[in-house]
Amino acid sequence: MKFRVERDVLADAVAWTARTLPVRPSVPVLAGMLLDAGEHDGQHRLKLSSFDYEVSAQVSVEIDVEEPGTTLVSGRLLAEITRNLPPQTVEISTDGAKVVVACGSAKFTLLTLPVEDYPTLPDMPQLTGSVGSDAFAAAVSQVAVAAGRDDTLPMLTGVRVEIEGETVTLASTDRYRLAVRELTWKPENPELSAVALVPAKTLADTAKSLTTGAEVSIALSAGKTAEGMIGFSGGGRRTTTRLLDGDFPKYRALLPDTFNSVAEVQKSEFIEAVKRVSLVAERNTPLRLAFSDGQLVLEAGTGDEAQAVEVLEAGLEGDDIQIAFNSAFLLDGLNAIDSDIARLQFTTSTKPAIITGKPAEDGADADYRYLIMPVRLSS
Amino acid sequence: MRLVIARCSVDYVGRLTAHLPMAPRLILMKADGSVSIHADDRAFKPLNWMNPPCTVRETATDDGGAVWTVTHGKSGEKLVLTIEEIAHDSSHELGVDPGLRKDGVEAHLQELLAEHITTLGDGYTLVRREYPTAIGPVDILCRDADGGAVAVEIKRRGEIDGVEQLTRYLELLNRDPALKPVRGVFAAQEIKPQARVLATDRGISCVTLDYDALRGIEPDIPRLF
Repeated sequence: MKFRVERDVLADAVAWTARTLPVRPSVPVLAGMLLDAGEHDGQHRLKLSSFDYEVSAQVSVEIDVEEPGTTLVSGRLLAEITRNLPPQTVEISTDGAKVVVACGSAKFTLLTLPVEDYPTLPDMPQLTGSVGSDAFAAAVSQVAVAAGRDDTLPMLTGVRVEIEGETVTLASTDRYRLAVRELTWKPENPELSAVALVPAKTLADTAKSLTTGAEVSIALSAGKTAEGMIGFSGGGRRTTTRLLDGDFPKYRALLPDTFNSVAEVQKSEFIEAVKRVSLVAERNTPLRLAFSDGQLVLEAGTGDEAQAVEVLEAGLEGDDIQIAFNSAFLLDGLNAIDSDIARLQFTTSTKPAIITGKPAEDGADADYRYLIMPVRLSS
Repeated sequence: MRLVIARCSVDYVGRLTAHLPMAPRLILMKADGSVSIHADDRAFKPLNWMNPPCTVRETATDDGGAVWTVTHGKSGEKLVLTIEEIAHDSSHELGVDPGLRKDGVEAHLQELLAEHITTLGDGYTLVRREYPTAIGPVDILCRDADGGAVAVEIKRRGEIDGVEQLTRYLELLNRDPALKPVRGVFAAQEIKPQARVLATDRGISCVTLDYDALRGIEPDIPRLF
């Protein structure tokens, strides 16, 4: 095997592939990154692959192949090396059981792992549809923030993906908040109706890393017979991940549809004020919000401890309301909305509130909703 | 157990000599004959003590105080307590202590998981707790929704040795034609990453248990559901 590639192209491709290398490989070959240089679909390409039996990643870049071939080297080491190479053309060649990486005046010799022991990457499931990569990454990050991180309820560590024709609904919850985002996409089959539960962390990383291409193609394994798997591809990168089992809670029933008060606050001012006032809130003590006509009073701290108060301008329709939240959860929701004005809808101080961005036109429904459970008002 | 709170001074006479000046202190005289003198700090650690076997001789002094002499039965070393005033003196029969049960939570988890076996998945049914094998009982044997046998090992903290233990049970259980194939489930409140890797590599699935949820204890923080 012998090929040449620009350092930046190689470093990007290797770094992306290395993300899915297992931290604790149970078999040594899994710590390897597979390099396959050759003619693929009539073009000289280098394919880099990594796989940990949960997540697979493969990237394909155009290169000059002098001699086709396949080899397996330590992925971490290759990633470290390529990141630190000078910005010149890199030549990679095999020399017996070794791989030589040469770039400018630097030369590295790496040991190879047995290619024949490397597992075959799972095939991409059948293409289900596609979506703009930036819109997808934004939507996923809005939702993944509310996913659970606790393994006691594995289904809550996932993002529920519901496909209904041209609408994709993403939802996740850790029982304290629930984030729901709807977006439109281009399904292969307009009649399609499907659901999947994708590990939230993997989905968020994947969506963010696929913004190099304009579109992301999504491939969902069909039917209950095959092992659940979802694949994403775009910009020469493709990745698959195993789906989570378990029943996701029936979250739609949690979303209230009538409210007693609706408040609107400038988002950036609100975020700044929450950060400032919550400085005095000890861990797990609430941030108290009091909405009345024209103003919002934020307060934290009680009794003999430090206290903070800040007053903001706010619009309010309906009843005055006093409500308390975990400030970190409130900030997650405010940071996730994509509007300059945050709209908060309340029923009572003990019922969940909904945070959305103010829709562009009045009467339109927000495509992102962040439901947050208030904490008890302590006085 | 006799508890005495008294103003006393203490002299230790033996291989070393030590003197504690007059001050209020707690004196513990335990059923095994041991005597220890505590100040109002240092948790379990006494200022001075005498291990059993020892005898205590109490003599009254002319000025209304007392001198208690604790003599060690073998070495003859002495602890002499000069008591000026007694503020409290009471005796209690404590009986035999059941001992510290570090595995109390584990046993309770086993009981709770057996009661709520569907925590492992819908359609699971309990066969029995403490299912016997030639090398000791496996915590829980149950059947999954398809009727396949599942052996469950329960730990508070899931570490490598727990996985090894379950592996041994599985090897034996899989020799039983009436049971095989037997799947393994490693259930713990917290599973170490290394243990998870080993379990996954051996085809054993990991389940993180929520003790409070199994016990039906609701958290203080309100939740959506």
